[in-house]
Amino acid sequence: MPRNIEQSFMKALFHGVIAEEMLFPFPEMSSDERENVSLLLDSVRRFFGANVDSAKIDRACRIPPEVLSGLKDLGLMGLQIPAQHGGAGLSSMAYARVMQEVGSLDASIAVTLGAHQSIGLKGILLFGTEEQKQRYLPRLATGEHMAAFALTEPGAGSDAAAVKTRAELSPDGKHYVLNGSKIWITNGGFADVFTVFARTSALEEGKKPRLTAFIVDRSAGVKSGPEEHKLGIRGSSTTELFFEDVRVPVENVLGEAGKGFRVAMEVLNSGRLGLAAGSIGACQTLVRMAIDRVQERRAFGRHIGGFGLIKDKIATMLAQIYALESMTYLAAGLIDAGVVDYSLESAICKIVGSETLWSVANETLQIAAGIGYMQDYPYEQLLRDARINLIFEGTNEILRAFVALSGMSGPGRALEDVARAMREPIKGFGLLSDFAIRKARTVLGRERMTRTHPLLSREAVLFEEHTGQLVSITEAVLRKHGRDIAEMQYVQKRVAEIAMDLFGIAACLARTTRAIERRGEEGARREIDLTSIYTGMAQRRLKQLVADVQDNDDELRKAVAVRAYADRAYPFDVL
Amino acid sequence: MKILVALKRVADPDNANKVKIPPSGDRIDTAGLEWKPNPFDEYALEAALRLTEDGKAPKARAGEVVVVTFGPKETEQTLRAALATGADRAIRVDVTDDKLDGALVARALKALVEREKPDVVLMGKQAVDGDSNQVGQSLAELLDWPMATFAATIQEEQGALLVGREVDGGVAVLRVRLPAVVTVDLRIVAPTSVYSLKTARTHKYNDGVRFAALPAIMASKKKPLAEVKLADLTADSGLKVQYHGFEPPPARKAGIKVKDVADLVARLKNEAKVL
Repeated sequence: MPRNIEQSFMKALFHGVIAEEMLFPFPEMSSDERENVSLLLDSVRRFFGANVDSAKIDRACRIPPEVLSGLKDLGLMGLQIPAQHGGAGLSSMAYARVMQEVGSLDASIAVTLGAHQSIGLKGILLFGTEEQKQRYLPRLATGEHMAAFALTEPGAGSDAAAVKTRAELSPDGKHYVLNGSKIWITNGGFADVFTVFARTSALEEGKKPRLTAFIVDRSAGVKSGPEEHKLGIRGSSTTELFFEDVRVPVENVLGEAGKGFRVAMEVLNSGRLGLAAGSIGACQTLVRMAIDRVQERRAFGRHIGGFGLIKDKIATMLAQIYALESMTYLAAGLIDAGVVDYSLESAICKIVGSETLWSVANETLQIAAGIGYMQDYPYEQLLRDARINLIFEGTNEILRAFVALSGMSGPGRALEDVARAMREPIKGFGLLSDFAIRKARTVLGRERMTRTHPLLSREAVLFEEHTGQLVSITEAVLRKHGRDIAEMQYVQKRVAEIAMDLFGIAACLARTTRAIERRGEEGARREIDLTSIYTGMAQRRLKQLVADVQDNDDELRKAVAVRAYADRAYPFDVL
Repeated sequence: MKILVALKRVADPDNANKVKIPPSGDRIDTAGLEWKPNPFDEYALEAALRLTEDGKAPKARAGEVVVVTFGPKETEQTLRAALATGADRAIRVDVTDDKLDGALVARALKALVEREKPDVVLMGKQAVDGDSNQVGQSLAELLDWPMATFAATIQEEQGALLVGREVDGGVAVLRVRLPAVVTVDLRIVAPTSVYSLKTARTHKYNDGVRFAALPAIMASKKKPLAEVKLADLTADSGLKVQYHGFEPPPARKAGIKVKDVADLVARLKNEAKVL
């Protein structure tokens, strides 16, 4: 039996196991925390209303220092830092809700806060020793010190194994000496404390390096390059960082020496949820603008809101946002419930969050039409600000590969186990345990979603059926490609997208079930309708994805691309 | 200085369209309304905080600010918000709005003032739901205390307050000896409106009320919040004001387009009958 199968909802789903106990009841914050957060959000909204001018931040390419210090005074820099280290100790759900609000108000500020605490100081929270926590967290919690996360290098973006920055142990064993540089570091211009990843082994072609995470003080000699000029989130600071013989005491190693890769992955797993939460907020702002616009703009003698195609856009946005919100808070709730492995769920939320926001921003700009394109109106800035989310904290392409490969690795191992057990029936019996028995049951008849409300039975059946599809496609491609699956990116993309839609449906079902149980069918009408629309959209996508696994032009596309690389251009000219 | 601030929660005026009246017309249906503190009362709280601090170090309170509200259990959220912004203590008088009128609130506040013995009672000039504008004045009368209404500025003096009131054609300045009742207008939260004896006259506050920070929100749980029964404050819970019925304002009718000025004048004369 693959270990930890029950520790991730999505990993279990790849085995065909629907871990309903992780979905139901849909999580919620404690009433105490809800009250705290709603009081805080009230302050946040008023503070932004009185002090923050997003258009000005965009034009000036900086967040005014008095705004930043106001945010610190509000207590927004140590949201998840435990109280004993000077923070507010918010749960993941509460943190997400605050980031959602900030994301709805200003993207540059959301990214600055996120870089500080979603990733910048997260390594210290997750892996820091008690001494490191005591030394760094109190000042980070108040914002007296700001943090940044420094992984990316010119030759190492998504490929963390290609990190060149080198950390060498001094002869007396008391210091590491860091040399190298990092690029595109958010908060790079002013951060005081950096989580830096450097190799502690020699660079060898084709060999995985030993990566180590360090807490590095700016005062140790970290130099910043000039501010980058960006498409969006222009108020945030993005710079290069230079390390030239920067001496870092061995006490500042974060986690174990040589285990830096794991530190990076865990930090990013958790950070991605903050990004998804910010995306929800930005979507809500855009939808409000879109609705205002369609009720105000007239064409052919009526409000454009009366036209079917506009209604279609608005309904689609609402359903997408409902699904995104459900997925994000389900994942956050799983973390709060102590689930250790939420890597697939948070990656899915990041992909869906950034892509939903991009589509909502694009459609809102389309609805606004002419004024949408003009700099005197806020639409174009929101579109520019939204774009980065598809790129940073793991590109959506890399994350799709991650979702597919990480999801399929469990079944991959299980297949090996089952094959071994078959060869040695008696000795191998122990391997089959209850997972195999449960699995055998899924072959006989599909796993059931038993706790959804009967009003959602159509959607629940769709979920069950496509869970079955996910399992059989996973098995089929694993049998067909074996270890080569790592190279099969078309397959990975399809498997990942099936998984994404399944997570979306599951989250909507759990949340809407709770709504119906609390408020009855009529009280939960809005949730039921949005679930129905989202599931319908997901169903059409799933049908296409499943069909494409069998019938596709993958090879032809590869050949065309290879030819284009040789031509170095589009090959035709009508002249 | 000890200050008692009376706070009322009101239906969010930005969502006033959610106010519903049942067919019987005997009451306002408050289900589903969003609530917020009466803005003028929030200004009163801000003024109370400014009067009990040195503007340079607003975290240290010189004296005590006690907030009181009349309402059901849910109104404790309004009090929590006030505690999080800096008030020291809160009192909730357990009662619902439909059992109250201005005179009754004033009678109950009088009993509370006699218990608490504040130097000043501060409140908004009126609540933005009923717009009665009675409680402050009635309370001062019942207590036989000096009163200043619609304060736009307050300056603390030894044993007195210098209160500026914006009136037609200028500013009337009153000196009220303590203890006193003061009701405030919106300009009280301007940067140079309120000065305690500790705050330098060169100090400028941020415009508007202060916002509760997260650490203060968490800490506000530990501040005392007492519940008092209305009957413990006044034996006479009779109402002087009775409502005989409620009806929503008529829906706005669609406008019309007129041909020209002559048509407009004719319609104003004959249909609207305003000329």
